[in-house]
Amino acid sequence: MIDGTRVIDYHGHVGRWERYGMVDEPELLLGAMDAVGIDIACLFHIFHPDGTTGNDLTAKFVARNPDRFVGFAYVSPTMPDRMVPELERAIDKLGFPAIKLYPPYTPWPFNEEPWLPIYEFAQDRGLAIIFHTDHFINSRPRYFEDLAPAYPRVNFVSAHCGNVPEARAEAIAAAQKYPNVYLETCSTYRTPGVIEELVEKGGADRVLYGSDMPLMDPRPQIGKIITARISPEAKRMALGENAARLLNI
Amino acid sequence: MPSLNFSPRVPVIDANVCVGNHHTGPSPCQSPAQLLEEMDFHGVRRAVIYHAQGEQISPTDGNKYLEDWLDDEGRLILQWSVAPVEISMEQIAELHGRGRVRSVRLHDCQSAGLPFLPWGYDDLLTFLSDAGIPLWIPLMDVETDHLVTTLKAYPDLHAVLIGAHYTHALVVRGLLEASSRAVLELSRYEPIGEVEALVERFGADRFVYGSWYPRYAMGPILFYLHHTRMGEDELARICAGNVERLLGLEEGA
Repeated sequence: MIDGTRVIDYHGHVGRWERYGMVDEPELLLGAMDAVGIDIACLFHIFHPDGTTGNDLTAKFVARNPDRFVGFAYVSPTMPDRMVPELERAIDKLGFPAIKLYPPYTPWPFNEEPWLPIYEFAQDRGLAIIFHTDHFINSRPRYFEDLAPAYPRVNFVSAHCGNVPEARAEAIAAAQKYPNVYLETCSTYRTPGVIEELVEKGGADRVLYGSDMPLMDPRPQIGKIITARISPEAKRMALGENAARLLNI
Repeated sequence: MPSLNFSPRVPVIDANVCVGNHHTGPSPCQSPAQLLEEMDFHGVRRAVIYHAQGEQISPTDGNKYLEDWLDDEGRLILQWSVAPVEISMEQIAELHGRGRVRSVRLHDCQSAGLPFLPWGYDDLLTFLSDAGIPLWIPLMDVETDHLVTTLKAYPDLHAVLIGAHYTHALVVRGLLEASSRAVLELSRYEPIGEVEALVERFGADRFVYGSWYPRYAMGPILFYLHHTRMGEDELARICAGNVERLLGLEEGA
């Protein structure tokens, strides 16, 4: 909690990637979260293409601290027969409220046919989907302009907001055109003025704080919001109010 | 307790600020006054600044342009770029002779084929070691293996290692172990819990706050450092005390 605002980190991982210092020890995550007032972190496991293995690990991780962590479902179109059944299991049985997709681990841009069953599932359920986005061909935020009007009950979240200026401009343009596009802030690029740009051009009601923990410590990432030249109201929305609305929590 | 507003609890010197424009885009600060305003917003008292031209184009020209960034209050501390070529070393020696060199920063020669190894840098590193002048070394501009070899070969060199990223997670400890005088600048180092772990392992004297503004925003790492398990004395050393010691500044100057 920061100044009465419940803080929700919209981008985190379960899983290990030791070569980059990424270790998913709950105490490590909780210690960093507690130090800066993060109440809840959304987590997903993207290292298993079947979805099931990682989703079960996420559920197990979340179950140890259910008040602090929320799990998202992960599936991949590289195993197409498992996509929708696994989504049904993860949402209905594991209780996950949203979906994470990672286009760089696939051969396809995320507006192409192999991904569409996921969007149809999310449209039926009215779910949010967070996508890794960047400037490479599979992950361009401009694809939201194809998807957002076609699936109006789905909320599309641009993780990292494209990371670099060219892709960030695409994410902002999509958010300006469609009310179901959101802009998530975590990035190893901490370029000055980015948070201000997202709020000013995309709207404070579309910005979601995320950290990418435990790949990155959530403290400098939340520091981007706290130290930005934006209003206290915009900070509150980005830090938690928008995420709470999106996830209905 | 965290709040929607942040200002540092301890005096702060930013150990890594670039001035001047890159080809990738103009700097948000085009004058000393604008940079000082940015520092004031984040509660940064002083900053060590170098010129963008010194990174990959011309250290000698970059150093000339840097003179334009002197401010009346002495809050901007000039850091001269240097390459192991005669004209550059002569410039640094001349500045040193006038008592104007507190630190230097390594120009990128690796991309031009010169590895950071003793055979290519002996004259420069011997001079810096003998004169007690600290050398800022961007990690992206040197091979790790070369750096370890060279740090071990010049044990009296005060090296400040710049820009460690999470992709350096496997090498940071080895670099700090290679030389007891090596210091890590923290502008990009975000693996979870690692600042606390490194401070516990090596001691707070081996780390300095830097933002690498305007490549990165000035505030986030400073905010991070103020929300760790470190004590106030450790925080004060990382935010200013260590760089004061390295640069020979009076405490609180």
